[in-house]
Amino acid sequence: MTDELLVVRAQLGERAALAELVLRWRMPVWTYVRRMLDAERADDVAQEIWLAVVRGLPRLREPERWAPWLFTIARRSVTDRLRAEYARAEAFAEVEAVADDPAEATVERAELAAVLSGLPVLEREVLVLFYLEDLSVEECAQVCRVPVGTVKSRLSRARRLLREHLTEKGWQP
Amino acid sequence: MAAMTEEEPRLPARHLIERLGPVLSPWARARAVAALLAGLTGTVFVSALWWSEPGPLPGRTHAAFALFTAFCLAWAAYGGWSLTRRVPLFATDRVVAGWLSVAASAVTAVLVTAVAVQRGGGLLPALAVAVVCVGAALVLVVRAHVRRAALLRRRRELAGEEEK
Repeated sequence: MTDELLVVRAQLGERAALAELVLRWRMPVWTYVRRMLDAERADDVAQEIWLAVVRGLPRLREPERWAPWLFTIARRSVTDRLRAEYARAEAFAEVEAVADDPAEATVERAELAAVLSGLPVLEREVLVLFYLEDLSVEECAQVCRVPVGTVKSRLSRARRLLREHLTEKGWQP
Repeated sequence: MAAMTEEEPRLPARHLIERLGPVLSPWARARAVAALLAGLTGTVFVSALWWSEPGPLPGRTHAAFALFTAFCLAWAAYGGWSLTRRVPLFATDRVVAGWLSVAASAVTAVLVTAVAVQRGGGLLPALAVAVVCVGAALVLVVRAHVRRAALLRRRRELAGEEEK
């Protein structure tokens, strides 16, 4: 069953369709949140996102654009959380520090994930949306509320940074 | 990516869906619709009584009417806020809520008109209020039916495409 059909059925009020939609998109949403925040906060924020999605679903006018709509909500929740931390003077630096934390890297046991965490937030976000969530450049632009050209330049910069980080760690293409 | 990091959400899927339960509860929707309709009906009825009261009223009576009106408005505002921000009203729910609002506005129209007839004046304003209330409710119910029909049509189309 396509996402669009599930969304339409959920909008009609079918609980089973809504539950299936949540199950199907639970991991992609969590993966995006986890790449932007640490594990401690990822579950809380993912929960907030799903609450906002359920509350806003009746107002979604284009069910075929479900994925960008979902990630727009996810992005808003992540941004709100990061902004709240800025206010507490903890800033993005803490999020970026995740990659430098050897304990965290050991727990994850995935060098690439650690490298990804080391990228600046804006570049990391667009990399996650484009490569991990399979959104198109246009959809990334809609989610991030920036022009398509900005997404392309962020992607290009993200790829370059990723390559540099990986080379530093001894990875050879 | 999750496989790559060997990481999983700590909250199991079943718990995630369970936590959404209170928001999706039919009672939460019924409470919000009831608060909105009772608040609006009360506001219109109390205001009609207040305006059509014959003769000059003492200050305390004015204050009491104002207090009742404010009380009803507060419930209407709470219901409206719940329906727009807290509780999702899906297409089928909107149809039910639309018909409830038609019933509530019809009752309000009858009460306001009855008060006007009993007091022997202000029939025209009372009828105007009745028409506005019932008209607004009918617009809501028609919009809800149109939206639901569009979604049902889309569901049939998509289901048909998948069967091919």
